[in-house]
Amino acid sequence: MKTIRENSFSTTGKIGKSLLLLLPMTFLILLFTAGPTPSFNSKVSLVAFLITFIFFNVLFFMILYKGKVDRYRATGFIVLALFFALTFIVDLIGMRGTMTFSHETMLSCEIPFCHIVTTMVILPLIFTGSIIFPGSIIGGFASIASMLVIVIGVMLALGRGFCSWGCFYGGWDDGTSRILRKPVIKKINPAFRWASFAVLIIVAITSALVLEPTYCDWLCPFKTVTEFEKVTSFTVLLKTITFVSLFAALVIVLPLLTKKRIQCTTLCPMGALCSLSNKINVFEVRIDKGKCTECMLCTKVCPTMSLEKQDVEKGKPSITCMKCGKCIDSCSKSAINYHIKGTPVGKRVTLARMLFLYPAFTLLVVFTAGNMQQGIVLLVKLFTTGSLL
Amino acid sequence: MKKLTAIPAYLWAIVCLLIIPVCFIKNDTFANEMAKLPFMKLHPVYSGGDQAKIITDPELVTTIYKPVFESLFGKSKTGFVQLKFSSPSDTLPLIIKRDIDYNSDNAVDFGIEINTQTGDTKLTPVNTLVRNINISSKVKKNWVVRVNVTNPVKSK
Repeated sequence: MKTIRENSFSTTGKIGKSLLLLLPMTFLILLFTAGPTPSFNSKVSLVAFLITFIFFNVLFFMILYKGKVDRYRATGFIVLALFFALTFIVDLIGMRGTMTFSHETMLSCEIPFCHIVTTMVILPLIFTGSIIFPGSIIGGFASIASMLVIVIGVMLALGRGFCSWGCFYGGWDDGTSRILRKPVIKKINPAFRWASFAVLIIVAITSALVLEPTYCDWLCPFKTVTEFEKVTSFTVLLKTITFVSLFAALVIVLPLLTKKRIQCTTLCPMGALCSLSNKINVFEVRIDKGKCTECMLCTKVCPTMSLEKQDVEKGKPSITCMKCGKCIDSCSKSAINYHIKGTPVGKRVTLARMLFLYPAFTLLVVFTAGNMQQGIVLLVKLFTTGSLL
Repeated sequence: MKKLTAIPAYLWAIVCLLIIPVCFIKNDTFANEMAKLPFMKLHPVYSGGDQAKIITDPELVTTIYKPVFESLFGKSKTGFVQLKFSSPSDTLPLIIKRDIDYNSDNAVDFGIEINTQTGDTKLTPVNTLVRNINISSKVKKNWVVRVNVTNPVKSK
């Protein structure tokens, strides 16, 4: 009887503590969901706001209450990828009547600048003092200056945490890697985790040489779910076949079979650039060697192959770590935790965890909130009128 | 020593806590400031280069841009000249036919004829440096043509 009462007290205490820690995040969720001056022009948009607001509050509450990060992060992250693609495509079709862009779009410099392009503009910026991208410097949708501010800010604040908490593409292979309970392909050479660095070097150099963002032009698999060049020549057809094949292989099939985020790990040059920013970022994942039993479960679950045996022995993952929290959740000994560089390992674990989770979850909310609300409105429109447009 | 490193570490972590919301709330302000930086401009390959001259006729305004021979280091052997045709009445004529002097030597370098309905574009090179049509496309209410040309400095 006493134990039941003690348990109920501890559960109540845990709920209370979680609710208290949720409060600052509730304010941020409200701010980024409703905007500084809320205005709901229809009942549907009010409902969309409420669903989004409740959704994020529940997710963050569950992270706090259950003490698990990855499952709830991934839910929001996959929602971000799906709603981003839906709203982006519908907006494009509304504006241009098609998912394709033409010479006209390029000549008028109206292509939205996504964060991945950053990797290709750096060298030409140094050598020519200009940006090699047909987008707008300021104003309009996803301008170059606006996106660069976000990229710099997020890399400073979270390092490669960007890839697990803010990238509006990452949810695709994160999602497909979770479909099967067990991997079909179990053995992957861990050297593949460095492949994205090779891609980064190649696309940075080739883009500078030809003064075109070569990764966007030829490889980016996510053009399949956003926008792509209108097929007007054999070269464009070849490009289309290449990026659609990469989408099918690296975003759908291989993540499904391996339970790893293969595209993010092996192909994305932005992932490699963000990995480098992990060096200057204050947050990291560390293994408390005093608690670790070297069961190696964390090495099996890591979606980016950032934790191998030698990394466990060193007490931290490689710089390719995305700070998704999967290894932290998998450790039955609570030996793995978020950590602040320069502080003792295994001490003030909750403080380090909260200091990381607040900005990381805010990033997820910022990117998802608008897309999710717009997406819900679109889906309601689809069910009531039979059309998304 | 460990305490000494821990204090700035926690402070930096708290700064990171603020960076994310500030980055988005003040995005317009930061982006506007960033856009003022000297390197925040489009490469001439994308912008079409600097305007060289504007010829205004009653039914058509022709903007001729300076030839673009940009490469990563120095100038390339080949490049393009961009032309923009716009109409004061916002309606382009069915046929645009112009003789163009792109290097301002007072001699026609090429003739161009565009059917704005079908997009058919015919180039008549006069200067041997003029090669072929790169792009010919309607851009909003204007028509933009890029003509590939050889760099006179590199061709010598």
